[in-house]
Amino acid sequence: MASAIAFESASRRYRNGVLALDAVSFSIEEGARTCLLGPNGAGKSTAIRLLQGALRPTSGRVTLLGATLDDPLHEQARRRTGIVPQRPGMYPDLTVDEHLTLARRLYGRGDIEATIEAFGLGPHRAKTLASLSGGFQRRLVLATALLSQPEVLLLDEPTVGLDPVASHDVEAMLRDAMRGRTTLLCTHDLAEAEALCEDVIILRDGEVLLHQPIAMLRGRVKARVRVQARSPEALRGALARRGLTWTEDGDAVLLALDAPREMPDLLRGLLAEGVDVFASTPLSVTLEEIFLEAVRQ
Amino acid sequence: MSAVRALLDKEFRQLGRSRGALVSGTLLPLLLLVLVPLPQLVGLQAAPLLPKDLPLPPGFSDIGDPQGLFALVLYPLFVTITGLIVPSLAATYSIVQERERRTLELLVALPLTVTQIVTAKLLSLLVLSVVLVFPFYAIGATTLLILNVISVWRSALLLLLLSAALICSTCIALVLALLAKDFRTANNLNGVLFLPIIMLMAGLLLAVPGEGKLVVMSVALLACAGLALVIAARWISFERYLE
Repeated sequence: MASAIAFESASRRYRNGVLALDAVSFSIEEGARTCLLGPNGAGKSTAIRLLQGALRPTSGRVTLLGATLDDPLHEQARRRTGIVPQRPGMYPDLTVDEHLTLARRLYGRGDIEATIEAFGLGPHRAKTLASLSGGFQRRLVLATALLSQPEVLLLDEPTVGLDPVASHDVEAMLRDAMRGRTTLLCTHDLAEAEALCEDVIILRDGEVLLHQPIAMLRGRVKARVRVQARSPEALRGALARRGLTWTEDGDAVLLALDAPREMPDLLRGLLAEGVDVFASTPLSVTLEEIFLEAVRQ
Repeated sequence: MSAVRALLDKEFRQLGRSRGALVSGTLLPLLLLVLVPLPQLVGLQAAPLLPKDLPLPPGFSDIGDPQGLFALVLYPLFVTITGLIVPSLAATYSIVQERERRTLELLVALPLTVTQIVTAKLLSLLVLSVVLVFPFYAIGATTLLILNVISVWRSALLLLLLSAALICSTCIALVLALLAKDFRTANNLNGVLFLPIIMLMAGLLLAVPGEGKLVVMSVALLACAGLALVIAARWISFERYLE
């Protein structure tokens, strides 16, 4: 399958000397939904800026729908791409209708009525952008990005700064919007990334730490089980005799297992030894744990 | 071109809603083209003729009376200053405000190039300046024509000078857009960029004799505009414009 987005040894050094991306290489296939994770200053927004053509790579190549910034086809590629910038300013003297009309003229296509309906902007269409609430401002930006039915979506922290209700609404809209579209989602919100994307790219200090499907990443982190017994001391003693290590979690212990299938044998052994285990709860590995492990490494 | 047209429509719509800014924008041309020069002309009528043996710069060589001094030195200076200052003030307001409000981020997300964004903004500023300045020039020039201070030909040359000053100022605003990050820097840069040009114009007024000075000044202003465009074309990028 062809790559909709590709970075080939792409570096970007700013005029102030900061190296935001350092020979980064990754590609995203058509239709894939990928999240770009990384701590502040990792280079996530720079990657989006390179794709949208607002910045040029200092070295290497960045292609969007097969076109580099210097390619005559890049303008067309941009028209096939919807972009949600990170907390843009809002015009105090331009209405929702006027902004969407401008976007339709620039993209050359788009159904304003259907978009306004889909994003619940009907009662706000005559309001100026700056007078909208934060949640509706973000809806408008998303509506603008989707107006032309783009093939690619670039989302730069689309829910940052929103209250939980607005964040939930925007996330639900994103879930619909991302279906069937190549998406690159920059976010700090790991739960959001996990809910919306299949693949993850972790950036740190301008370098790609990993790029894998989230499901595969789960396999990299040991499965954990939370075990509770009537006598925590007896439980710890029994585990120590078996050479197992654990972390404390209140009255319980957290066991990291190489092979989760060994758990029934372990539980039988503990019970036979007289340790009254009354709860054994498998814990799912979160993207946050995967992220923290990757960044710490 | 269709992208620039779409942006121009947006700019005009926004300008039309900034009624307060438009009203205050009319004050400067009203002052510099009508309210200050015309009383000066009245005052100069009572002034004595220049002494024939007084050593004067070449620009004054064919000026025999106070009306000539007004028509060939004072009024062209007022016209030049008006043409240079009005667009630069509008540019400072429009460009720096867009940067400070972060509304540029909204435009950058649309399929636009930085050249299209800046071209639309500067064209809208040029049109705005023409709308603000030309009516007051028409009032001033018509009054001077009625008073027989300038001829139709000279009023046309003054209009050329005014147009050249507006174009020069708009092109320099392009450089300003790349350099000024806030209002204070923009105002300081306005002074740095325009003071030498105003000094140059004053120098040409003194150095070049007759009506030809108006043409020479216009050409010099257009040359400054061209230089600003060349500098901007080499520098302009989203990185500079956005940061």
